[in-house]
Amino acid sequence: MHSVTGVDPHLDIETYDPSADLMVLNLGPQHPSTHGVFRVKLYLDGEIIIKAVPYAGYLHRGVEKLCEELTFVQIIPIVDKNDYVSPMMNEQAIAMACEAMLGIEVPPRALYLRTIFAELQRLASHLLWLGTFGMDLGGALGGGATLFMYCFRERETILGLFEEVTGCRFHYNTHAVGGNRHDITPKFSCDTKTTLEVIEKRLEEYVQIFSSNRIYRARTQGIGVLDGDLANSLGITGPLARASGVDHDLRRDAPYHIYGELDVKVFTESAGDCFARTLVRLNEMYESIRIVREIIDSVPEGPILGMKPGKSPGHIKIDASQGYSCIESPRGELGTYIIGGGKSRGASAYRLKIRSPSLHAASCIPYLFPGHTVSDAVAILGTLDPIMGEVDR
Amino acid sequence: MTRDEAQQRFVALLQERFGVEEIPDDNYPLIDAKHHFELARVLREEFGYRIYSFVVASHYLEKVDAKNDNAVIDIEHYEVATGIRCVGAPAHLASWRVRVELDQSIPTLFPLFAGADWQEREQYDLVGVRFDEHPDLRRLMMPEDWEGHPLRKDYAIETACPPWR
Amino acid sequence: MAVDESQRTYEHPLYQHVERMPGVSVALGSIDQLLTWGSANSLWIFPMATSCCGIEFMAAAASGVDLDRMGSIPRGTPRQCDVMVVAGTITVKMAPRVKKLWEQMPEPKWCVAMGSCAISGDFYRDIYSVIPGIDTFVPVDVYVPGCPPNPEALMHGLLLLQEKIRMVREGTLTREEVRPESPPNLNRPAIGRLQDPERDPLTDEEQTDSAAGLGFGDNLNLAQIRRPRPEPELRPQVDAEPRPQVDAEPRPQVDAELRPQVDAEPQPEVDADEESAP
Repeated sequence: MHSVTGVDPHLDIETYDPSADLMVLNLGPQHPSTHGVFRVKLYLDGEIIIKAVPYAGYLHRGVEKLCEELTFVQIIPIVDKNDYVSPMMNEQAIAMACEAMLGIEVPPRALYLRTIFAELQRLASHLLWLGTFGMDLGGALGGGATLFMYCFRERETILGLFEEVTGCRFHYNTHAVGGNRHDITPKFSCDTKTTLEVIEKRLEEYVQIFSSNRIYRARTQGIGVLDGDLANSLGITGPLARASGVDHDLRRDAPYHIYGELDVKVFTESAGDCFARTLVRLNEMYESIRIVREIIDSVPEGPILGMKPGKSPGHIKIDASQGYSCIESPRGELGTYIIGGGKSRGASAYRLKIRSPSLHAASCIPYLFPGHTVSDAVAILGTLDPIMGEVDR
Repeated sequence: MTRDEAQQRFVALLQERFGVEEIPDDNYPLIDAKHHFELARVLREEFGYRIYSFVVASHYLEKVDAKNDNAVIDIEHYEVATGIRCVGAPAHLASWRVRVELDQSIPTLFPLFAGADWQEREQYDLVGVRFDEHPDLRRLMMPEDWEGHPLRKDYAIETACPPWR
Repeated sequence: MAVDESQRTYEHPLYQHVERMPGVSVALGSIDQLLTWGSANSLWIFPMATSCCGIEFMAAAASGVDLDRMGSIPRGTPRQCDVMVVAGTITVKMAPRVKKLWEQMPEPKWCVAMGSCAISGDFYRDIYSVIPGIDTFVPVDVYVPGCPPNPEALMHGLLLLQEKIRMVREGTLTREEVRPESPPNLNRPAIGRLQDPERDPLTDEEQTDSAAGLGFGDNLNLAQIRRPRPEPELRPQVDAEPRPQVDAEPRPQVDAELRPQVDAEPQPEVDADEESAP
């Protein structure tokens, strides 16, 4: 009823195929192309998928339950592990939700740092996606692991920048309620600019690979078309929705950090297929590079962790109010819904829900897979870019 | 339209058409369960709130007043908060809460929003609140034969699980 | 469910055939060396990558560290592999699959637990859906600690595994391998979590304070912000229960019921209002 192509995600397979001629193929949970532990049960007629039934929960670690047990300070390193490809975003989402509910002002320097970290993280996350997607498509991009090797080379340089600031390659624990913990050095700005220059130059090569490779175009153009209305209705945001023509980006439409002062360009494509998603992500990588370059030299001096005098960050307490705040992660709207007033008189949340963009992205699989072949399914799953830690939490 | 204007419009809608008297400052408005589906439909079709954002169910235990001879203040119940968002600027989020009694269920939003399928399944799995006329109300996260709903308040975090489940 | 260690062989299957061939017993010494060399230097890896550590595993396989140069090639199927690297949290829903994939690997095979989730469950250890360490159902040869371990640490772990393989084949592994048998109840660890009943709750609070106060700017003094502690006589009395005696004998298998309950301890209420701040 929601799909324009007439795909019914709840197709009754016994009525459709009473003689049970369909072949059932199990993709996952341990499959190199599922990017983690995800299982899709495919009903195949020949090589064409008739119905796809996804199963999640193979990495359900009870993070939301754990967040109810711990205090707001303790949960920041825990939520790092949700979207393990972009941990900075998880921290920012939690920290911003607490700040919004407590009315804490974040110093401007911390806001600049958060914006820089977020954009660098977006770049790193999209690079990892590009590399693994290249590997998924196998020979289409000039040999299985070629692009993977290239992209990880670039990603390592960004992780090196983060390591210089926070001491960790990932799971940084660098954001706190009210600001940041680790300050950047003057060297950071110089290093970042050098790194970005290298990445920008190499991105051009990748764009050439994408735009000129005939096999690649044949495998992605017109494959896995996601309708814009269906994307909205499923709650899909981020690059996936923008590739389907939805002109929506929280950085521009509901600015946080310092995005209000910046002119964030939002790239949309109308096709909604795998190729469009690739283009949107590549454009976003260029845009991230531009944003970081624009603000890296204008970071104001000042403190990076602000608190009201007499209020220690160890004793953040939220009363029984409720609130939701969200940021634009590399995969879409990453939000945190907090119901305060939990254990020890509000030092922990009564209920904490992480609104993960990956779960919404994964939920379009029953709509996209039918009508495609198994090899197309791998390409579609690659462009959806679901991170299982975030799907299952 | 700014976000404040959109919020005012949302509040006016709640007060005029759905009989909500008070809108708390630090909380989302609580509406009656029978208006739940209708409010979502009006927001989607008349006001253009087309992005399905979230659904959060929470479980509340029975609350007693210890000072006053353990008089029952509030019985055990669920609360379901739903949020939907409009496309593009100002990306206003319309969010409301519904109180659901333990033996009641709440209408599903699946006919309006396809995303409600998985989100409501997840909330059913973890909290235990049931959604009426949901096309496929199975567990999403936990194994199908799992006992209990982990995010309920009476479910201990250390609950032992039999091996190989 | 116990792992049968007697079934586990480090012998290369080819070795048996070679030994039976007539006329080669003279050359056996050097063939043995050859097989040892080959066995240790062609560890094909089956990445059981479930979460964050999987990304670091990918980084280790990519251009920076490059596992290929020591003969370790990640493969997508268990049937071609020698080493299973378990990188990430294993949940109760995933554990049967891990076990099945482990059983599908041909002998000889080894297992590396990468990251603290695979080693012990990390802070997810007590959660209803998480297996507290994969050594409760799969024998582990090398533990690579970290959250997540750097790619270099994984490399080091594989080098240690190579050394172990060499030592086992040459018979120089003097230390007896201690592998605890799988507990009958798989969801619980063999050793209970250490509970210190004498620990003052104020210490916890102090540590939280100092951890949260890291990275303050110049204009804020941490000492000013920290609240004054309550007077010593006002401190809540902690139960003067003697600590449980640790027996010299090996610990029995701790069952789920025998584990010390966290909630059972009285949590003294600490006054943490902000009014007492200067």
